[in-house]
Amino acid sequence: MIASLRADGLKMRKRWANWIMVAILLAWLVLLVYALLYLVVKTQPASLRGSQVPASVLIRQIFPENFIPTVLSTAASIGAAIMIIFGALSTASEYGWSTVQTILIQKPGRTAVLGGKGLALFVATVLISIAALAVSALSAYVVVTVDGSSSSWPAATEIVKGFGALILQLAVWAAFGAFLGIAFRSTAAAIGGGLVYLFVGEALLGSLFRTAPVIKDVLKLLPGINASGVNGAFRLTYTNPSNQVPLVDPTHGVITLLVYLVAFTVLSLLIFRRRDVGGG
Amino acid sequence: MGMAQSYAVETHGLSKRYATGVLAVNNLDLRVRTGEVYGFLGPNGAGKTTTLRMLSGLLRPTSGTATVAGGAPGSPASLAQLGAMVETPAFYPYLSGRDNLRVMARYSSVQKSRIEPVLQQVDMTDRARHKFKTYSTGMKQRLGVASALLKDPQLLILDEPTSGLDPQGTVEMRELIKDLRQGGRTVLLSSHLLNEVELTCDRVGVIARGSLVAEGTVDELRARSGGQALLVRASPIDQARRMLESLLKPDQVQLRDGLFTLAVGPSQAAAINRRLVADGVDVTELRVAEQSLEDVFLQLTEKQP
Ligand SMILES: Nc1ncnc2c1ncn2[C@@H]1O[C@H](COP(=O)(O)OP(=O)(O)O)[C@@H](O)[C@H]1O
Ligand SMILES: [Mg+2]
Repeated sequence: MIASLRADGLKMRKRWANWIMVAILLAWLVLLVYALLYLVVKTQPASLRGSQVPASVLIRQIFPENFIPTVLSTAASIGAAIMIIFGALSTASEYGWSTVQTILIQKPGRTAVLGGKGLALFVATVLISIAALAVSALSAYVVVTVDGSSSSWPAATEIVKGFGALILQLAVWAAFGAFLGIAFRSTAAAIGGGLVYLFVGEALLGSLFRTAPVIKDVLKLLPGINASGVNGAFRLTYTNPSNQVPLVDPTHGVITLLVYLVAFTVLSLLIFRRRDVGGG
Repeated sequence: MGMAQSYAVETHGLSKRYATGVLAVNNLDLRVRTGEVYGFLGPNGAGKTTTLRMLSGLLRPTSGTATVAGGAPGSPASLAQLGAMVETPAFYPYLSGRDNLRVMARYSSVQKSRIEPVLQQVDMTDRARHKFKTYSTGMKQRLGVASALLKDPQLLILDEPTSGLDPQGTVEMRELIKDLRQGGRTVLLSSHLLNEVELTCDRVGVIARGSLVAEGTVDELRARSGGQALLVRASPIDQARRMLESLLKPDQVQLRDGLFTLAVGPSQAAAINRRLVADGVDVTELRVAEQSLEDVFLQLTEKQP
């Protein structure tokens, strides 16, 4: 397991696509969350006239006091998409390049090969989470300094919990992507399927049917809805009535996400261990 | 595992039926002796790659068993002693040749210090820093061999290592294969080219339509199907016959129209000639039978009803 963790770490580190995705995530956070909101609030207060929250309050979203919920909401959208692609690339590419056969005739057995890959993905998820938190905190610090306002940092326990929530949901999406990559053995199918699920299955249906009687109960089982439930535990320091109340509570969310993490891992292993390689 | 393990590969009734219904390998009994270079010869589609994938643990046999390098195919015990290149060499296109070997060395828990020697062995040191995707077919094959050698395995499986190579590359690859057996290593080499196994292998198994149709040394194969033979005309005939029958097995000697047909390869021609002459027999004609090994191969592997 450690041998294949080290091998996968080397592959991951040397792959440009991975760094590009991390860069996209962090750039998104800096430019499309912090910088954009700051510019909008500062230059276009008129466009916020319809909002129930005045610009002077809304800007607190990008102050240090809210850097945890801000990074979590980014994780739930673009973060999820990036992690699905990341996970899918890490498994599906092995089929695309047929390298799966080369690594399976090295020393470790199939469980160790995939286990090592899973660990490598998890380590990467932790590092990406740290980077996202750090970039978010730094951006918030810059914003509040430039703005000349005052804010405070969340309590250390809150930061640690937020870190955990971030890792958990990003890990679930990475595992989902990796599972799709193994199931489809095709990068395009895995990424396409994963993103369609995320944006149509979760986001679109989730907003259309969040009040429909039966469908609502089904929605409560979906990973994205549960991630939002977990994120609901991290409140903004002001109330924005236009923010939706999550369908599930944080505990329900954490448990469901853990179940998904285990399920994707076990399913991936079951397929990977049994399936013929190069046998169609 | 016995003390003196005589077979590096042993299969019993190995069969593979693909999900498509194709019976690619049919009840195969293969025995590769430790330390030999074994040629697994068969036309395209005969089932060579399917067999080698089963031996490497990539495919599950539909039925039958196999022992490879002392363990079940794909087991850690077997993999530890196996280096393999099955079908086209598959590596990470975005990594250099050297980094690809680093990845494989990590998987196999092999010291990093093994990388430069194997690169050198396949003559890839100069190109090792370039990305795999820039390699020619020949360089890819050589990297595949280098990767298979990383573990310094007792058993090396190479699936058509010269396929797609130009004549120069083919010659180089064959030279390389000759070196690979050093240190008592067993090499199992598949090919659809007869002269290839003839040049590099100690023994040959011929596979056709998923079954082993012949096995033996190249000379034996020629002899068995009557293809390869020495034709000898000598007098006095009776004395020559006694001589030849004592020299060879009786069923290897046939006399027709005053011409002996000896079921042996050309390598024995000189020795036989010497013995006959030393015995006072006049040898008036000595030549290799017309039918080429190519014909034998075609005869063995052609479609039978
Ligand atoms: N993945 C697969 N699915 C179905 N049939 C296959 C597959 N791979 C090979 N075959 C078939 O199995 C037979 C043997 O193929 P193969 O083992 O590749 O032969 P060889 O390596 O001797 O050329 C062929 O008829 C081939 O079409
Ligand atoms: Mg083949």
